[in-house]
Amino acid sequence: MNKEFETEELASVSRRNFFKRTATVSAAAAATIIAPATLLADDENIMHHTKWGTSLGKECNYNPYGLPSKYEHNVVRRTSPLMSSAGDMHAAISMTPLHELNGIITPNGLHFTRTHNGVAEVDPNKFRLMIHGLVEKTIVLTLDQLKRYPSESRVLFLECPSNGAAEWKGPQFGSLQFARGMMACTEWTGVRLSTILDDLGLKPEAKWMLAEGSDGSEMSRTLPIEKVLDDCMLVYAQNGEALRDEQGYPVRLMAPGWEANLCVKWLKRLEFGDKPWYAKEETSKYTALTASGLAIQHFYALETNSIITSPCPEKPWTDLKVGDLVEIEGLAWSGHGTIRGVDISFDGGKNFVEAHLKGLVLPKAWTRFSYMYKYEGKPLLLQSRSYDDSDNVQPTVNQEKKVVGVEGVYHRNAIHTWAVDAKGEVTNVQVRS
Amino acid sequence: MFKLDHKFILIGASATAILLTGCLSSPSNANEVSAVVSPSSNAAVGHYAIKNKTAIDGGVTYERANGVETAYRYNEQNTKGVSFGRVATANEIKAWDIDALPDGTGLPEGEGSVEEGDELYEAQCASCHGDFGSGGNGYPQLTGGNQEKDENGVVKTLKNQRVYGSTDAPKRTIGTYWPVATTLFTYIRDAMPYATPKSLTNSETYAIVAYLLAQDGIKIDGVEMDDEFVLNAEKLSKVVLANRNGFYPDIDGKNGTDATENVRAFFADRAANIGSGTRCMTDCKDPGGIDGKTEASVVKIGYEMSDVSPAYSTVRDLPPEVEDKSISKAEKMYNDSCKLCHATDQMGAPAVGDIAAWRDVMVKGQEKVIYNSINGMGGMPAKGGNPDLLPSDVKLIVEWMIDSSKEH
Repeated sequence: MNKEFETEELASVSRRNFFKRTATVSAAAAATIIAPATLLADDENIMHHTKWGTSLGKECNYNPYGLPSKYEHNVVRRTSPLMSSAGDMHAAISMTPLHELNGIITPNGLHFTRTHNGVAEVDPNKFRLMIHGLVEKTIVLTLDQLKRYPSESRVLFLECPSNGAAEWKGPQFGSLQFARGMMACTEWTGVRLSTILDDLGLKPEAKWMLAEGSDGSEMSRTLPIEKVLDDCMLVYAQNGEALRDEQGYPVRLMAPGWEANLCVKWLKRLEFGDKPWYAKEETSKYTALTASGLAIQHFYALETNSIITSPCPEKPWTDLKVGDLVEIEGLAWSGHGTIRGVDISFDGGKNFVEAHLKGLVLPKAWTRFSYMYKYEGKPLLLQSRSYDDSDNVQPTVNQEKKVVGVEGVYHRNAIHTWAVDAKGEVTNVQVRS
Repeated sequence: MFKLDHKFILIGASATAILLTGCLSSPSNANEVSAVVSPSSNAAVGHYAIKNKTAIDGGVTYERANGVETAYRYNEQNTKGVSFGRVATANEIKAWDIDALPDGTGLPEGEGSVEEGDELYEAQCASCHGDFGSGGNGYPQLTGGNQEKDENGVVKTLKNQRVYGSTDAPKRTIGTYWPVATTLFTYIRDAMPYATPKSLTNSETYAIVAYLLAQDGIKIDGVEMDDEFVLNAEKLSKVVLANRNGFYPDIDGKNGTDATENVRAFFADRAANIGSGTRCMTDCKDPGGIDGKTEASVVKIGYEMSDVSPAYSTVRDLPPEVEDKSISKAEKMYNDSCKLCHATDQMGAPAVGDIAAWRDVMVKGQEKVIYNSINGMGGMPAKGGNPDLLPSDVKLIVEWMIDSSKEH
């Protein structure tokens, strides 16, 4: 009863203020003196008790596996028939909502998903991993046995080499999510392959490793031993919990910085050999046809790349007033190493200034960059250009096109341009000739 | 020196008036800044001890020493001797190790004719891949395309580039693009048919492979593949596809070269082989076009994709109401408004499921119990303290509570 009374009281105060305010406005108008504070209407959200403040909330553990607020229902992966074979969503890809992410960690439920034969649901009790070929000892591991090996954790981006593939010939998506959403960055936990190979003993003639998945597509890829021994992992956890089915539960290969397709999901078998296998997804697909008519094969690392995430088409500057100081923010990443820095252009690449890196700067992980900008309400051509500790600088569209042409499908890392118009609307354009 | 320049850039950058005119100065007056010697590269953040600057992928590898690797710590205790799992049996390896190499190693026994393949293809493959492997249904086109080569042995149509007004796409089929035919066998046997993978026998797979190769006019040992042609492991290992040499770097170690070093050398020269940028800071020129001299312009989206699922939205509102079928409306309202007191008898209210307690309550008769629930009685507030409930809602809830507290 008391609560209801208070609500009433607040409401009536609000109404009284309304009349008072109206009177003030009239008086102010007459005197042509406007004091902005008195013009402001009282916010109903402040003047009234809220529903959630005047009732009992849900039970503490009402949802034993927590979910985002129901108000966040639009923060989801999205897809389109264009991202599939003939609209068939078993061989398809869904995109991470980059415009809604913060920091460098992607929540597991928003991690982009690529499947070639649907999402396999592997029974962990029936999971077996076989490691054989040119090793002194072949083994079969259960999931529990794999987890007995000492673990390591790494924050790593994972990117489909087709990220941005639809835009080789020009801009196509009026959306950050679709223009660049075939990537995510999470903390992966598992066993270094070198730790297991220490026990098995690699034969000296072993040069390549075949990784094979257990799903319907039997995804297979060949990797060179050097990478396997350097930093490849067999991962079973992502952001502290078991891999999601979509990410290869219970175990996937992790080749840091390399094509996500090489990080074979629903892993089943590793074989060591002296020759590469020429699996389907490293011959007919995942090879980059260049203008010479020849194609790059075994195209491993994703090159240095960056994208401005704020503003973007989904999060424009339409609410800004001229003179507002606003942060430009974005993501940079490189499969070759660590991001050293990012430059920003406001005029479509004629002139650049240095942005600032912020937060954790980790190898082969998303790195946030930031730049404070005073909004002028004028059209801009916003670009970001990253560079890494392996001496790579992100190319322009023309620079990349000159070397590899426009039919390669994979590994597009050209500088991206957002056009910001006078109203603050953001569209996807390309600066090219 | 660098530090000073860096500072200048930061100060300049905060003055937005000069941003668009682009008069920012860069270190040493050059308009290009090397990625290596840029001011920020001297900072400790993100600057890790590099072990190998010529990694196979062209990148760097990092030093792992004294329990530290880049920003990570690791347990440097010896892990040698950690050993779990068991040795794989010969039969287990035989069951799973069924891959095949380009030279035919690993191909199984069995055989199938072009004619048998035709029948199998029509029944199990054509609905997606089109008649004769010609595509057209949104799934990959398998056969067709012109395999003719230029004077350098490059398949001519693979040089097609849809740029500068050209509209012919390069065709990537088995005949024009795939390097080796053994891939066809393992892929079809292991991953096809799409909805029922691994359902084809080895012989059926040979038949389908024979059919597809025949569509592209492949000859084996100079022999054309007619309807009666029977394919097996030996013959498949002899197939040489048109684009066998269409890929680089050389991962086979041809002519006695080291395959790994071929790959390393290729990725070491990234500017020439995969494209790289430059850190130009002011008055940057970026010509292109068919003549390499055309100035860049702003290209807009030609056709906007709108077929997106779920539809684009960044609004934060309540999602469309989805009826929770696992729980009745009455139970849901009970959970929201009544459960706090009625879940147990701790609050003095009859607990749902307590048959004896509800038998006592029901002595008054159901109508009276519902009346009391709507109007309040003793410690029980009207409508359980939720004035938003309609009397009919309360009636539904009480009926559910009574039903849940009966012997069934």
